[in-house]
Formats: sequence, C-alpha cells, structure tokens
Amino acid sequence: MSITRRSLAPAIVLPFVSVKVFAQAANPARTLVVAVPSDAVGLEPGTNRAEPIGSEIILNVFDTLVSWTPPEFNTLEGRLARSWTISPDGRSFEFELREGVLFHDGTALDAAAVKFSLERTRAMNPFAQASFNLINEITVVSPRLVRIVLKEPYPAFMSILAQPQSAIVSPAAVARLGDQFANNPVGTGPFIFRSRQADTNIVLEANAQYFRGAPKLDRLVYRIIPNASTRRLELENGGVDIIQQAGQLAAIPAETIQALRNNRNITIIEVPSQIIRQLEFNNNKTTGPIADIRVRRAITHAIDYDGLLQGIFGNTADRVYGPLTSNSWAFNPRIRDLAPKYDPAQARRLLAEAGIRPGSLTLPLYTFQGALWGAVATFVQANLADVGINVTIQQTEFPALRALHTSGNFDIALDGRQPWYNDPDAHITIGYLSSLADTAMTFRFPKDDALDAQILKAQQTVSMEERKALYFKLQEEILARAPGAFLFSPKLIVFARANIRGLVINSAPPLNEYWGVSKQ
Amino acid sequence: MVFVAGRIVAAIPVLALVLIIVFLLVRAIPGDPAVVLLGPGATREQVAALRDQLRLDLPAPQQFLEYVAALARGDFGLSLKTGEPVLTEILLRLPATIELTLMAMLVAVVVGVPLGVICATRVNGPLDHLLRLVSLVGVSIPAFLLALLLQLVFASYLGWLPVSGRSSALVTEAPITGFAVLDAILRLDSAGLQSALAHLVLPCAVLAAFLAATLGRYVRNSMLETLGEDFVRTARAKGMTRPRIIYVHALRNALLPAVTILGLKSAEMLGGAILTETIFAWPGIGRYMFEAIRNRDFPVIQGTTLVFALIYVMASLAVDLIHGALDPRVRRRML
Repeated sequence: MSITRRSLAPAIVLPFVSVKVFAQAANPARTLVVAVPSDAVGLEPGTNRAEPIGSEIILNVFDTLVSWTPPEFNTLEGRLARSWTISPDGRSFEFELREGVLFHDGTALDAAAVKFSLERTRAMNPFAQASFNLINEITVVSPRLVRIVLKEPYPAFMSILAQPQSAIVSPAAVARLGDQFANNPVGTGPFIFRSRQADTNIVLEANAQYFRGAPKLDRLVYRIIPNASTRRLELENGGVDIIQQAGQLAAIPAETIQALRNNRNITIIEVPSQIIRQLEFNNNKTTGPIADIRVRRAITHAIDYDGLLQGIFGNTADRVYGPLTSNSWAFNPRIRDLAPKYDPAQARRLLAEAGIRPGSLTLPLYTFQGALWGAVATFVQANLADVGINVTIQQTEFPALRALHTSGNFDIALDGRQPWYNDPDAHITIGYLSSLADTAMTFRFPKDDALDAQILKAQQTVSMEERKALYFKLQEEILARAPGAFLFSPKLIVFARANIRGLVINSAPPLNEYWGVSKQ
Repeated sequence: MVFVAGRIVAAIPVLALVLIIVFLLVRAIPGDPAVVLLGPGATREQVAALRDQLRLDLPAPQQFLEYVAALARGDFGLSLKTGEPVLTEILLRLPATIELTLMAMLVAVVVGVPLGVICATRVNGPLDHLLRLVSLVGVSIPAFLLALLLQLVFASYLGWLPVSGRSSALVTEAPITGFAVLDAILRLDSAGLQSALAHLVLPCAVLAAFLAATLGRYVRNSMLETLGEDFVRTARAKGMTRPRIIYVHALRNALLPAVTILGLKSAEMLGGAILTETIFAWPGIGRYMFEAIRNRDFPVIQGTTLVFALIYVMASLAVDLIHGALDPRVRRRML
C-alpha cells in the first residue's frame, strides 16, 4: 500500500472525525486488557521482588509445584506436581511431577528443571533468600521425582512453593538467553511472554500446548496506566477489561466504587484479603508516652472501629481484631472478644492512670500518601482528640516512611502488611519476631526470648492442629501487649467489564490468574 | 561556527553545576534506595550488602567522581530498579516525549500566533476581549484539570478520541523509531497512523494550551508595539496593503520575542510533561523521571536531569540562532 499526498491528507484529518477505526491486529473478543498502575520490575522468579505486576505475570507465564485451590484458597492442589509427601519430621518434601508438561521452548519439565529453578532463585534473588535459605538440599531422585530437604522443619514451606518466586523456569532457555532471560521469561504457564514496551505494555499470548488445556483467550495485554482516574475512564469506555486495586498502599475510595457499582457494563468482584492495616506503636521504645502500656491501651480504646469501616470504607474492608485476619485458618475466635472495644471513657481513665492530662500529649502520626491513608489518619486524629491526645498528621512518601520506620524515629504510624504467602507465619514471624525488628513492616518488638521461642515453635511444628493451638495462644499473647490498634483488612477489589468470566483472584499473594478467563 | 562553539563551551560549566546540585540533592532526600529496592522484608544485612554493591556508602565526592568518569565514557550508570543502562532507558522513552512536545509546539504556534495577530489587529474589540479571556483561561487552568476535563468530554462522553496511551491496546507491534506517527508511516499503515494521531490530540492539547495562550499574549503585545513603529506608518503612507503590512513586515519583527518564549517554554515542556504523560499514560521521559524520584533511583534521576539540562541549553542556542536568522542585526553580532 502506498501513501500518496491524496491519501495522506484524509488520513491525517480523519482521526479528528472518527477514531474507532484503529489498527486491530488482535481479536478483541479473545484479547484481555488489564490496566496496571506501574511497569513490572521482575518478570521471572530470579529477579522478582514481590512487586504485584511482575508477580502476577509470573503466575501466568510460569507454574509452581503447588497452588491454592480457588475460591477458598484453604487447600493446596498440585500444579506441576501430581502428588507429594512430607516426612514426619517436616523437613523432607518429595514431589512427583506430572508427565508431558513442556516449557514454552519445547523442552520437557523434569526434576532437574525443578532443582535448577529453586537453586537459581535462591542464589540470585535476595528477596527470596529468607525463605529459600531454609533449603538444605534438592535431590533429583528420578526424572519425575524431586526431593527438597530443609535445614529445619518449616510447614509453611508448601505455601512458599506456591508463590511466584518458586515458579519453575526452563533451564535450556536460561542457558541460551543468559541475562536476557529476565526480559524474555520462558515457563510452562498458560501464557507465553511475547513482547514488552517500557512503560507501555506487556503482551502475553496463549499457550495452546498448556497441560491443563489451552486458555480461552488468545492474548493477555497489561497496559501501564499510572493515573487511577484514567484507568477508571478506560474501563468505563471499554479501553481496558480489568482494573485492580492500586498497589499495596492505596485503594480506590468508596465513592468511586459506588460510582462503578451503578454501571451496568462493569462487574465488581470483592474478595476478602489477608492484608492487615493498623495504627502501630514503636514497641521498641523504652522511654516516652508510648512505652507505657496504659497509654497504648488507651489509644486502642479510643478508636471507633466500626465507624471507621462504615464511614471511610463503606463495606469495602473487614474488621481486623488481632494479629491475623478472620479468614486465616489459624484465626483464634476468642480474639473477637479480647480485642479492645471502642470505649473513650476507658481510654480517658487509662490516660489519667498513666498521668497524661487531657491535651498535654501531642504525637506526630506518620502515614503514607494517598487519599485513603489521609482519610484514615484524619479519622484517627479525631478519635484521639476526643480523648485528649493531639495528633499531627505527617503523610510521607514511601521511601521516607520506610526510613523512619526502620530507624525507629516514630511513636505512632499507620502501616500494614500484605502477606506474600498463604500462612499465618507471614504475619506472625515477620510482624513480631524480635530479631526482625529493624526491618520494615514489623511491630518492632523488643527482645523477648519466651515470645520468640513460641513464634519459632509455631513456625516449625509439623502437626497442623498443634500449629493452630500455638497460633491461638500467640494471638492472645501478642494482643495483650497492645502492639497497635488493628484497624481493617481491605478487600481485594477487581473491576471488570461485565462480559468477563472465569477470573481467579488469589488472596495471598493477591494476584490474578487468567487461564480460565473468557469474554462473552 | 565560532559563536556556536563558544556557546557549547559555555554550556559545560552550566551542565556541571546542574549535575552537582542534583547529585547532592537526591542523596539528601530521606529514603534509602536499597530498602526501596529490596522491599519491606529485607534484613539489615541484605540492605547493607546491596548498599555496598551499589557503592552507596562511599563518600559523596568519590561517588561523584566515579559517576563523572563513567559519564565521560558515555556510561550513565544502571537503573537501581531495573538494572538496565540508564542511557538506553532514556533513549527508549525520549522519542515519546519529543513527539508529544513537537506536536504541542506546532499546535501552540498554529493557534497562538494567529490568536495574537487577531487580537492585535482588532485591539479592544469584542473579539480581542474574547480571545484574551480564552488566553487567560489557557494560562491559568492547571494542566491536570484540563487533562481530566478533556478526557471526560472528548473521550468518555463524546467517544471521539481515546482516553490514554499512544495506540490501541490491540495493536502491539514493536516500535521502529519510537515515534508512533513516523513508525506508522514507515509501515505504510494508514489505520495505525490514524490511531497514532488520534492518541496525540488530547495530550497535545493539554501541553499546548499554556504555551499557545502565552504565545498569543506575547505576539499580541509585540504586534501592538510593532504596529506603532515609524516604519509601519511609512509603509501605510506608501500605500502598502494592510495584509502585507501585518503579515510581511510587522509580524516578522513581532515574532522575535515570541521565538524566545517558544524556545524556552518548549524546553520546559519536555520536563513539565510529567503530569500530562502520567495522566495520559504516555511513556515519556518525564514520567520516567517521576517514577525514579519515587523509587530513589539515583542514576536515573541524575541521567534524566542531565538530559533535560542539555535540551534546555540546546534550545537556548537554537533560539539565538533563529534570532540571528530573523534579525540581521543579531546575525552581525554573532559573527
């Protein structure tokens, strides 16, 4: 086709008249477009740092040995593994692999590939080292049988194997591509990585040879759209098919959710998460008002928890009563009764006992930027003012807030944790083990040998029932220390065009899988 | 040539000063890039190891000297976030910003200059007042508000134009030059060309609004001044037609300050396109720099700032050269 002057002029003018005639290389009925707020960082397990975009792409381009069964995500099912056994001492895991599974480059999955992948991730991914360093040895027993032996019992290891950093890569592709494998991932998953344009899109195409059956889509396109309003407009206009709650630190305000709820072309899917957001105290401080447990308890009684959920979230978040969310298998039902109640009078009494006169205490409240955090901080500020504590809100961008947190330069802060694997260990160990106090997203617990020993015992006990009992006890002990006011667990909210079917939304980590998705 | 060479030499200390200031400023902002990179679960030992690997614990002067030595080799360093060469990442994104900025400049000139001429030739008339009001709105309205309004009206409500992006999500061909319009022409893809131009309209309008309004005001004032000059009165007395007086004689003189404004504002637009690029999901260098600041990605912040400074210096030089082309008096001073 040649472009003459005659055809070029209308070609320039026509867009201003009608622009629905775009070049459409893909069939829109079999192309799913997902809007995400930022570009992916690591597209393969070796470079993945638990950032949501890259992690979700990994779950769709690769497979893990096991995964959680939707929709409850309480039981594990084999993915690349057909079956597995765990030794009585909880240290040895043996997996029998499925037969006939191929990587996208045509090479076959075998036990050697599993060994290669996990050892590679352990060697090159600093974010995975905390859990992967538990691995003592990986043995190829036979082409279909691989054994992983840990240095010590760690029942949560099966959860670790279900998350993106444990995905299995093609050794042949790694050997062929070297460093470039990070930009050209090759797995066994339902979608094949096709292309990437920086800050624009990431394109995956269907793997017709996928062992669970070919996806119902031909193509999956991640469009990078940083602005939340723009993502919403694109969804309403049909420019994208799915938008998700933006990142880990923000959420679409309830009024926006209400606006989309009234749109017949859009479906809103809400799934409980295991994210916990709290008003936390600097539990490592030995001086100052927050060091006094009466002051901490007073603050926990000053918060109107139900008012917060209704007024700010409008049912898009669930109440959190303690160190675990209510949908965790290890959640202790007694925590609902033991959790501090909204009782301003009790708060004032405790402050008086601690010698704090009304209006004499001023605390800076650090929190992240964003409308949601601002609204929560304002609510908390009002609650605390009601009991005589003055709060100045300091909304701070993420790196600066993390610096404050890890250096311990704060008294109270709004923060939270999104567990990256589906096990109570993700909240309890990371949140409350004293040796991790100086890392981020912890409650900065001071050294407590007894509590630390209980945490490690619960982590390493093999019997599920015994673990449950230990976590029950731990929740009560932690709550008694008043480490913070547990505020809410935001639901995972996905907005999809009404013709989308079959979307699977994992809760921990909160990532979507698109193998079963179709467009009607 | 001597003039150009002299200006290039004079730019070196300016660029060096910019680099020093940015280098020190980014390191003064709170927030450890190693913590940001490794994520919240990182241990103190891991953070220390990464800081050591990235040489972040070296004294600032030593880090600076190493950076300058690398720059001299054309090495802008590696992005802390992605590990990719910063220069490569900048060059990947620069065409998007240049395309947007050039189009916006074109729109601004096409709209702003006639706006100023019309106002000046109908001074204090109803049209003058109306266009000056429009110009005031263009100068005053915040870019993000204009962007959202245009998206709501033209993309969402009327459906005439796309909401965001450089092309439809269904079109995923790899770029050739990085300029979407040029790539579509090279591919002989008229539908792709339509799409690329359609996607340019709204972000261009946002970026051009302020510049067009500013240009219009400058051209109006400059034209009024020029139309009051003796030579214009002489031309009228000689019987020259009004259009010839305005468009051949007066406008050329009136454009000189406008050229200066155009050059300097356009260089600003390259950096100030951050908001526009973010709202319209335009994968340009402004957005890249904004993300880098959020992630404390020092090499990217330094690299992009240096590129912006370089562009500003070149724009300033270009303005001077255009002045020389337009005004023989300036040309004589350059020689």
